[in-house]
Amino acid sequence: MQETATDSPAERIALRKLVTYRDVVVTEAGARPALPARRASVAAVVRNPWIGTEPCTDLSEEQGRVAPVLAELLTDRLIAALGGADRIEAFGKAAIVGTAGEIEHAGALIHTPFFGNLVREFLQGESIICFADARAEAGEDLVVPLWHKNHAATRSHYQTISARVPDAPRADEIVVIAAASTGPRPHPRIGDRTTDLAVTKENLEEVLS
Amino acid sequence: MNVRKIVTHVEEIRAEGGRPVSPAARVAVVAAVIDNPWAGQGFVEDLGPGIDATASDLGALLAPEVLEALGAPVEAYGKAAIVGLDGEVEHGSALIHTLKFGDHFRKAANATTLLPAVEKRGAVGTVFDIPLKHITDATIRSHHQTVEVRISDAPHPREIVIALAAASQGRPQQRLADLSTER
Repeated sequence: MQETATDSPAERIALRKLVTYRDVVVTEAGARPALPARRASVAAVVRNPWIGTEPCTDLSEEQGRVAPVLAELLTDRLIAALGGADRIEAFGKAAIVGTAGEIEHAGALIHTPFFGNLVREFLQGESIICFADARAEAGEDLVVPLWHKNHAATRSHYQTISARVPDAPRADEIVVIAAASTGPRPHPRIGDRTTDLAVTKENLEEVLS
Repeated sequence: MNVRKIVTHVEEIRAEGGRPVSPAARVAVVAAVIDNPWAGQGFVEDLGPGIDATASDLGALLAPEVLEALGAPVEAYGKAAIVGLDGEVEHGSALIHTLKFGDHFRKAANATTLLPAVEKRGAVGTVFDIPLKHITDATIRSHHQTVEVRISDAPHPREIVIALAAASQGRPQQRLADLSTER
């Protein structure tokens, strides 16, 4: 299809669909969380811009064209689903490439500043963003890791959310995902670095022997 | 009624068959994961008290949520009951096949037809398809459609997933002749 000046950003990146998934835990193990969290993932299905290219192909030009549009589309919906960027405490990202593409193509859309920096900026975070990736058939359920957007080592915020598009990726598509949470796991109680004892092989001799 | 979680699934279809869909076709599902009201009671002959205690509250919980998630006027709708492995399909049917459940959604959407439904028993993470039909005339062919849903950690064996689905339009690129043309 010939591009025209009226093409929207979504059309320019050959976006087929967006799927937003949100869950709110009301009770877990029969008890209400002290800090109830909303978690959401947003998945965008785009045509793989590198289909039919050789493994030596330079990916940078398409990265700079496609990834920023995805970062904005996905974070817009995440922010709307979770009630504001200031409410978001943890984030993560992921990509699933169809079988005619390379894992490198999935990585190209999520691992560069054209995606990561913008997601951080839109979600008002500072941490590096944790990720998952896969090459898979349509309908793959991908578990997306999340951690704290400012303090990645915050143990209470290590959590995951699954993302799945029933009819994507087709072989020549990529599903790109951004995910976030407004709080910790439902009942976090495994301490953190400030409460940990010094654990070494030597002082655990009793347990390990 | 004990609710474990509320799940929202929204699809925005921007292209289909290689052509743009404008405005985007929107489909929304909101599901509540609840304890099966009859869990652990053996075969319960009279489901009436459990229905009275649960069905209306569920309808009142889900109807406004699915309308908000859709963010557009509803043209087609449907419902689902997915029963965990220890329950009967009859338990799920009991909660959704009553006006006490569906009327909340019908009134809020200005709808008149019965809600098409899927009811099945399945393991945690089972995939289910919710059928949707037009909200005032179930014979309108353009609006027959389904949406596929999966909740990765539900239903547990003693839980039920109850869901409502809404679409802002018929199928993207719908182009079948009307039913009346075949009469």
